[in-house]
Amino acid sequence: MPSKKAKHRKVVGKKKSDRTISRRDVLKIGAAAGAVTVLAPSMLTSRKAFASGDPAEPVICATAPANSPPTTPFRDTFTAPFPAIPQDLYPAPTKARNESGGEAERADHQRWDDFLPDIEYELEARASTHTFHSDYSPSYIWGFNGKYPAPTVLNIYEHPTIVRFRNNLPLTTTTFGRNEITIHLHNGHHGSESDGFAGDFFGTGFWKDNHYVNVYAGYDAIPPEGDAKEAMHSFWFHDHRAAFTANNNYLGLNGMFLVYDSKDPGHEFNTPGSLRLPCYYGITDFPLILTDKIFCATANGRTELFNAVGGAAPGGDKWIVNGKIQPKLTVRRRKYRFRILNTGPAKTYDLTLIKPDGSVGTMTVVATDANFLEHPIPVDAGANAGNSNSTTAPIVAGGLRVSVAERYDVIIDFAQFPHGSKVYLKENAPQFVGVASPVTLPTGLAIENVLMQFNVVNREPWFPADTPAIPSTLCTYPTLPATDNSFEWQFVRDPVGTVPRLFKINGLAFDAAVPVHSIVQGQTEEWLLNNNVGGSAWVHPVHIHFEEFRVLKRFVNGVEVPVPPLMTGRKDVMRLEAGQGALIKMQFRDFLGRYLIHCHNMNHEDAFMMVRWDIVPDALALRESQQLMLAHRREEEERLAEVAREERRLRKEEVS
Amino acid sequence: MKRRELLTGVKGKATFEPHIASPGVARFTNALLRTQENQEVRFYDDLIRGKQVVVNFMYAECHGACPMVTSTLIKAYQALKPRMGRDVFFYSITVKPETDTPEALKHYAKTRRADLPGWLFLTGDAYDIETIRFRLFGMYHPGFDLDSAMHAGTLRIINDATNCWTTVEAFASLKTILKHISWADPPKSYAERWAESIARQELINKEVKRYGYRRFA
Repeated sequence: MPSKKAKHRKVVGKKKSDRTISRRDVLKIGAAAGAVTVLAPSMLTSRKAFASGDPAEPVICATAPANSPPTTPFRDTFTAPFPAIPQDLYPAPTKARNESGGEAERADHQRWDDFLPDIEYELEARASTHTFHSDYSPSYIWGFNGKYPAPTVLNIYEHPTIVRFRNNLPLTTTTFGRNEITIHLHNGHHGSESDGFAGDFFGTGFWKDNHYVNVYAGYDAIPPEGDAKEAMHSFWFHDHRAAFTANNNYLGLNGMFLVYDSKDPGHEFNTPGSLRLPCYYGITDFPLILTDKIFCATANGRTELFNAVGGAAPGGDKWIVNGKIQPKLTVRRRKYRFRILNTGPAKTYDLTLIKPDGSVGTMTVVATDANFLEHPIPVDAGANAGNSNSTTAPIVAGGLRVSVAERYDVIIDFAQFPHGSKVYLKENAPQFVGVASPVTLPTGLAIENVLMQFNVVNREPWFPADTPAIPSTLCTYPTLPATDNSFEWQFVRDPVGTVPRLFKINGLAFDAAVPVHSIVQGQTEEWLLNNNVGGSAWVHPVHIHFEEFRVLKRFVNGVEVPVPPLMTGRKDVMRLEAGQGALIKMQFRDFLGRYLIHCHNMNHEDAFMMVRWDIVPDALALRESQQLMLAHRREEEERLAEVAREERRLRKEEVS
Repeated sequence: MKRRELLTGVKGKATFEPHIASPGVARFTNALLRTQENQEVRFYDDLIRGKQVVVNFMYAECHGACPMVTSTLIKAYQALKPRMGRDVFFYSITVKPETDTPEALKHYAKTRRADLPGWLFLTGDAYDIETIRFRLFGMYHPGFDLDSAMHAGTLRIINDATNCWTTVEAFASLKTILKHISWADPPKSYAERWAESIARQELINKEVKRYGYRRFA
């Protein structure tokens, strides 16, 4: 299709020249803007001159509103985000960085020849608008392909994929967002150059190909597709820009990424190996993407998201599910699957299913953080109350606690409810609604606690029939080899001595240039994650990139406690509440490079509770890496010691 | 305008115009402060408007974090010397204005070799300073905000011309601190960013060739 490619090239060329803006131009714009401050909104619109198609930059209320504008419950319909459409990329993806094509700098794709890409997508980060509720006017957002949530990437194992992330964010913004991005696939097993490393962000006008190999971990040991016991399914992708992750995610730069295989094939037919769980995307299988936001009063045709330049991502008073406030979903009397994902930036959810009589219904958890559990775990307030992971204040009977970045795939069987009944998903913390419920709610349920409503109806003949009972065994986990090494990570906020600290790990802040720990490729390590410094009252959902871990032991204030049922599975986010710790075990296979461990409360992460660790090729590289780390630390210690010496000298002088 | 004024930044004309969305006086306040030279300055109009600034809180008798922060800032100052006093400014504001007179601050700055052009030590009315601390460093969290010591280890980096705000820990490495300050630099043209990207790519290629993976670049 030469004509299509030629056309595409033209568009790319135009954008580049449009976005080439010199420092001189910026000054000119600044000067003009200063001269006509009164006409500020119209000046903002004039930015369209060099970014055609973008919405006008928002005029955000100066102070946090007491409440978002009221919304009518259950006015909007809950939907799954549209699937991303595969396309032929032009210029075609290459192993090395495509410099002349405008790609951002990166190392060559690792294992490119083993995994030549089959499927290609393009997701463009740009300014757009999204209507969070029909009572609202559109809100200014940053979204992939202009959408919030981003289009869902639906992928298949053994089909290596390129996702081209293009940065067309505005050059200047009135929001607190940062127009530089680096996209992390949480929790993909692939090369460091495709992992969205926090320091590898690229600015407006550049693009970058992320190479997702879509094989199971353990490829080196079990070619050609890796160890199927390592299967993962519910991923999500989001911006990871150092110090601005919360801001950019609050503005909307995140989405879902599902990978299918024979166990979880994206359909419900009786095919070999299929677990036959509800699996039709957007029909019987929905992502449930949670976030909280606060809105300014509607003005000038917009209901803007409140945010303040220089501020952390604000805590919201509206709970948002797949981009809508308190939506409703019509469900047939059969089983449904919901892939619950908390995109933060900071809030933790305690979810319960409320039956029409007001009692707590059963949600059966089949997967934690993208990994099937070996055996499904039902959670409710009755016989299965012991499975709830809402075990510290606020304790919610039968609650499913979801901290930032955690995913729980749950099955809800609506066949138990008669036609016409209404079932609710409840969040323990109330949101601001401001409008009375249009329907009578079950006893004991306040409208402020309702996250969304399910309207149960009989299944029409055309609608897919119910899937069989959930299998009692979903998978078997791989056996982890013997431990080669161990390491401890301490998550601290409190002052150390008299010196106040920001959020840190092992007393260190994020430094993109220096690793804190290095691992020889292929080894297995036990890591102790601890949040037990005296007086620490913070919750840290700890996320480790690259591979999934198993929880071996769990501690509360240093005392070993049993591993809760929902933490017995493979995971990539470990919630550490005050005083808690965990011993985890994981392998580091197949790829090399720089990866991260960080607190996924994005405000903590931006305050640099994040450090880099490396996978290195051999023992020699490990030694070199360790020497580098030591030299770096010694340099810092010497610097501080020198200051202390100088200070003592000055004090002495002053006294004498 | 006198050259001396430009260098010290006091009552000097802003290098750039404020960003269109700059919160201006409404957020920064235009409080009347005094420098270590006992000069009266307006916080927004004279110190912030159109400038790229690094703000920290300290007090002269502080034996803990403050001297370390000051020493870190001296190192950063040396690295940024060509820009200091032109479009980048350091402001160290005292949290104990009752005791920290301009003379006391001058003494502190002199003894620590921090009495440099483009770097002001500021005192003023206690209420004003508390307000500025809340407006600049406030995290809407009483655990942080009510304890002034909680902000002592933090540098606030603000560019009023680009409306970019960021924060860095004063105990991070010098490289990290300079990187954060550069994140608030005026926006670069595509051509400039392109040239930087090519330079970085060369470093990456060299490293990958040498070590088998990307290490520092």
